[in-house]
Amino acid sequence: MTNAVTQLKAGFGGRISHFTDERIAGKLMTMGVLPGSEVKVIRIAPFNGGYYLKVDGINVVVRHNEASSIMTTSDFE
Amino acid sequence: MNTVALAGNPNSGKSSLFNQLTGLRQKVANFPGVTVEKKSGKLQLADGQEVNLVDFPGAYSLYPNSEDERVVLNVLANPSDENFPDVVVYVADITSLEKHLLLLTQIKDLGIPSLLALNMADVAERSGMVIDIARLSDFLKMPVVAVSGRTGMNVAALRQAISDVLESATRADKTISPLYQPTLVEQKVASEAQQRLGIENPYRALLTAHHAEKLPHLKKDEKEALRRICEAENFKSLPLQIAETMRRYELFTPVLQKSIARKADKPTRSDRLDAVLTQPYLAPIIFFFIMFLVFQAIFAWAAYPMDWIEAGFAWAADTLKQHMPVAWYTDLLTDGVLSGLGGILVFVPQIAILFLLVTILEEVGYMARAVFIFDKLMQQFGLNGRSVVALVAGGACAIPAIMSTRTIGNWRERLLTILATPFISCSARIPVYTVLIGFVVPPGRVLGVFNAQGLAFMCLYLLGIVAALGAAWVFKHFVKSSEPSWLMMQLPPYRLPVWRNVWQTIWEKTSAFVLGAGKVILIASMVLWALASFGPPAKMEAAQAEATSIAQQQHLDETATADLVAAYRIEASYVGHLGKFIEPAIRPLGFDWKIGIALITSFAAREVFVATMATIYSIGSTGDEATIHDRLAEAHNPQTGAKIYTTATAASLLMFDVFALQCLSTIAVVRRETGGWKWPIIQFTFMGALAYLGSWMVFNLLS
Repeated sequence: MTNAVTQLKAGFGGRISHFTDERIAGKLMTMGVLPGSEVKVIRIAPFNGGYYLKVDGINVVVRHNEASSIMTTSDFE
Repeated sequence: MNTVALAGNPNSGKSSLFNQLTGLRQKVANFPGVTVEKKSGKLQLADGQEVNLVDFPGAYSLYPNSEDERVVLNVLANPSDENFPDVVVYVADITSLEKHLLLLTQIKDLGIPSLLALNMADVAERSGMVIDIARLSDFLKMPVVAVSGRTGMNVAALRQAISDVLESATRADKTISPLYQPTLVEQKVASEAQQRLGIENPYRALLTAHHAEKLPHLKKDEKEALRRICEAENFKSLPLQIAETMRRYELFTPVLQKSIARKADKPTRSDRLDAVLTQPYLAPIIFFFIMFLVFQAIFAWAAYPMDWIEAGFAWAADTLKQHMPVAWYTDLLTDGVLSGLGGILVFVPQIAILFLLVTILEEVGYMARAVFIFDKLMQQFGLNGRSVVALVAGGACAIPAIMSTRTIGNWRERLLTILATPFISCSARIPVYTVLIGFVVPPGRVLGVFNAQGLAFMCLYLLGIVAALGAAWVFKHFVKSSEPSWLMMQLPPYRLPVWRNVWQTIWEKTSAFVLGAGKVILIASMVLWALASFGPPAKMEAAQAEATSIAQQQHLDETATADLVAAYRIEASYVGHLGKFIEPAIRPLGFDWKIGIALITSFAAREVFVATMATIYSIGSTGDEATIHDRLAEAHNPQTGAKIYTTATAASLLMFDVFALQCLSTIAVVRRETGGWKWPIIQFTFMGALAYLGSWMVFNLLS
């Protein structure tokens, strides 16, 4: 089952399967957020704010709409 | 002289290494055509040869997302660019190497001789990380050196490696096979672009095709030709960029996995700190508490050196006056040049301390968290989380704050930040607030604890913040943009600041203020001195005679006589005429011609306001704010006998100072950063209109 990162609760994560927005994908990938990377949601800012993610051990923050284009598989805690 | 470029991702510790390599022999300029800062310095290599080391802005790849990144592409895609490097020293953070090599593989495919500096080797060593440098070097076909910009470890070895690469570069095989094998479409487009534009390197030709529209060195017909080539081959830039990026990671990730051995991951100290510092509801409270401490520290620490500087200049002026003949050039030297210089240097302590604290917050990694915390809020006003950095720095001085907006990739968000920043109460407003607040708020305590005047001070600051956000919100509706806006950024782990970097930054920013803004203030204060010292000769003499006779009637002592004469002369001078000329326009705000003079002069620089008031009210011999306050309190309207400095007038004047853009240097910087007169004029008019309206409303409400 694939979930957008925005469907995950803080503390949960998965492996990135693909992105749904090319432009955002292009930018995220240059920072090393790639299909196949392990991603975990560390914190979600209130009021539809940003997402604080850990991607392969690196801290990355993204906006809600950016997070919603990151699709993940296989939840793990 | 050979050029060596220092390139790498943001957060790779590039600037620490740059400071290690060049020491204090640095030059700050701009990359041609843009306001992106270019730092360069002389680097002495092991064999004694000197090279020019250029610190490139941090970039993730040659597919740029911000002005900073675009500069790297523009230079590397154009071998005839003045900054085009003979050798690239690529700096990567060894602790997250898997994410740091993309740009290096692109630079390598451009055929530019390179070497890899694995930075933060000290951190890696401590965390028990082991890396197979030989394997990495063999894969990349370039020298690899583990260094530390923090401790200086292996910097000598890096120098040696640079000279080795430089030497072998002259006889290197330029046809070395690229890492990335382009697809068929890419090959076709690249080879056609190679032929049409005469580009030697295939990957450079490919990049040129990708970025044809935005590369500044291409001619119009070349752009058109490239556009046609891409169209004919059905070349879809964005998907191809993504595929290329993915392929590059696939190529080097397995090698890195074999070369790096790590201890098991466990929550780091950084993660535990972030659990508190970015906690959704706690984070803003902590941020405002830290800002409160920062501004407390500025006022508390800067007060002493500021007193010394003021006293020093007063002493110097007195001494000169005693030992030089009484003549116009003595006056120019003491009242024009010296007081102008003093007016600049008196702000150095505040600016230096603010930069000390802001740089520490940045070096430690906290500012990146603030960007994350406030991004959502800032978006409501058309700004970006990154705008927070500029708004905070605006508390010291709008000039460096506006310069810091270049990290904002979206032009609209950057422009709105530039328009909002001067509303933040800068340090030059403090003396004006200090003098005037006494008229509006009586000393005493509120609720038994808070100092009433201190609270008023805070309200003025809050008003500035509200005005900044409000202005951004208003302009948001007028500035349209189709450019995408994003947050997407890495949060570096918390680290102790590298003090060498902190001192370097303070030195740079402070000297930029003294030389840049200082020039304007100095010139303005000399012009001002001339306008205030000269007037229609007949009127000046009459004023002098009248003042002298009044002084004799009242048996004034020498100082009081001189002050009285100065007050009469300034009224008869050109600046006095100017003040009377604009009086009708400012009378609705409760201002008379004397305040008019002070307002005119303070458009050169705010801090001139208090000094001008002192001269007009014939207490030019004192610089003390309390004395100025007392004298203003006694001022009466000669016709009606009513007090001039009523609560209403003072409050109105405070409003004016909060809102108006009274700073030539800011206007100059905005012109440079926005590339024309349009925005500074709009900004000046908008802020002026708001100031007028605000003052008018407050004056009429209170009187």
